[in-house]
Amino acid sequence: MGVAVIVGTAKGAAVLKSEDRQHWHMSFELRGWPVTASARDGTRTYVAVNSPNFGVALFASDEFSNWKQLGAAPRYRPEDRGNPEHHRLVAKMDFEGKLKGGGRFVDQIWTLHPAHGALYAGVSEAGLFVSSDHGESWEPVDGFNEQPGRETWAPGFGGLGLHTILTDAKNPERMWVGISAAGFFRTDDGGKTWTRKDNNVHGFGANCVHHVANDPSNASVLYRQEHFGVYRSEDSGDTWEVWEDGLPIAEMSDGHRCSFGFPLVHDRKSSATFVVPLDGDNFRFPRGGQLAVYRCTDGKSWQPLTAGLPSNCFAGVLRGSMAGDQMDPGGLYFGTTAGSIYASADLGESWREIASGLPRIMSVEAYVT
Amino acid sequence: MSVRVQLPPMLRHAMGGERWLEAEGISVAAVLRDLGQKHPRLKLHFFDEQGAIRHNIVCVHGGSVVRAREMAAHHLHASDEIVLTNALAGG
Repeated sequence: MGVAVIVGTAKGAAVLKSEDRQHWHMSFELRGWPVTASARDGTRTYVAVNSPNFGVALFASDEFSNWKQLGAAPRYRPEDRGNPEHHRLVAKMDFEGKLKGGGRFVDQIWTLHPAHGALYAGVSEAGLFVSSDHGESWEPVDGFNEQPGRETWAPGFGGLGLHTILTDAKNPERMWVGISAAGFFRTDDGGKTWTRKDNNVHGFGANCVHHVANDPSNASVLYRQEHFGVYRSEDSGDTWEVWEDGLPIAEMSDGHRCSFGFPLVHDRKSSATFVVPLDGDNFRFPRGGQLAVYRCTDGKSWQPLTAGLPSNCFAGVLRGSMAGDQMDPGGLYFGTTAGSIYASADLGESWREIASGLPRIMSVEAYVT
Repeated sequence: MSVRVQLPPMLRHAMGGERWLEAEGISVAAVLRDLGQKHPRLKLHFFDEQGAIRHNIVCVHGGSVVRAREMAAHHLHASDEIVLTNALAGG
């Protein structure tokens, strides 16, 4: 079995393929398009693109090349009203500087998630969409998108984006989504109603969840990288506990001390979890320039993994820019905002730069081929 | 009335690499609507959720730049060629 890693960058998709996870071949696809997410469902791979000029679209391929654009993409209804602060943050203005007011627009697909025979998309301005025909048509999940309280949601620095979708393999009625910075939500009735699940998580009223992961076959255990720290829940998100023993702790902009970062990956076979701590929300690069992945294998404490990683890295790692291939042993892949991709074929024990010089990396996903 | 439309490189991905398309319309806006009806993938790129032409799309016609808000009033003639691009900005 081989692996294909799709790296979404600000100017196209780098597709890295390997049969042995040691030797890699790269092609650069969809040139010019910011590539923000990908997902694989069976043999079909989807990538999401967006452009401030030409909007959002989806491409699909069965062979990681010859991408064909789908005829539809998530879009809000003309009458849906937008969030003014999100508009301001994502610069919804024309090149004469006039703000485009009023409507609600899909300006980015942050995540794609296949589950239970459907394909879900999380977008900004924050919303959840579903396709039942392999992306050929999309419907808004109104129970989420139009829920009471939406008008109070506040965007994070990157806008109001729904970036995390999790599902339960044993219970199609249950799903979780994370929004920066509106919080983490769960439905138990197939998306009709949703409840925020941020108890015990430090925040400013709302919660800026950065990324959450689970194993869909053991879905009630959730692993969470928040703006303000790393947390773990064993009850489907009803309660959370701080989970930072061994992680570097930074002083945050509000004085709170915690471990800051964006991506979090859970390896299902080993039950190991991985984060990439950054030196707080004031700096957002690895402390002292030492790029390090931290791993937790016992559900309690974290250990740093730096073999093969640079000690002079002052780039960030974005929330969607780390992935595991779920092979045995697990392979891990992450990309930096400075355009380097690092890979490990041994659960993070050793790392190697497998590509460099890429545009800003916005998403990384790995697929067994 | 038929005109020829050159797509920007990024939108050629949507059309299997095609650079030039034939379209009908007496104005730039009408040409974009015609292309959107014939090719739903291009409609996603030309028009936002409220049906407005995306504000950073620019047309070059006869050496003149036609901005999105001017496209409805900018008339074309048979066999004209127009170039679609986007507003140039940034460093």
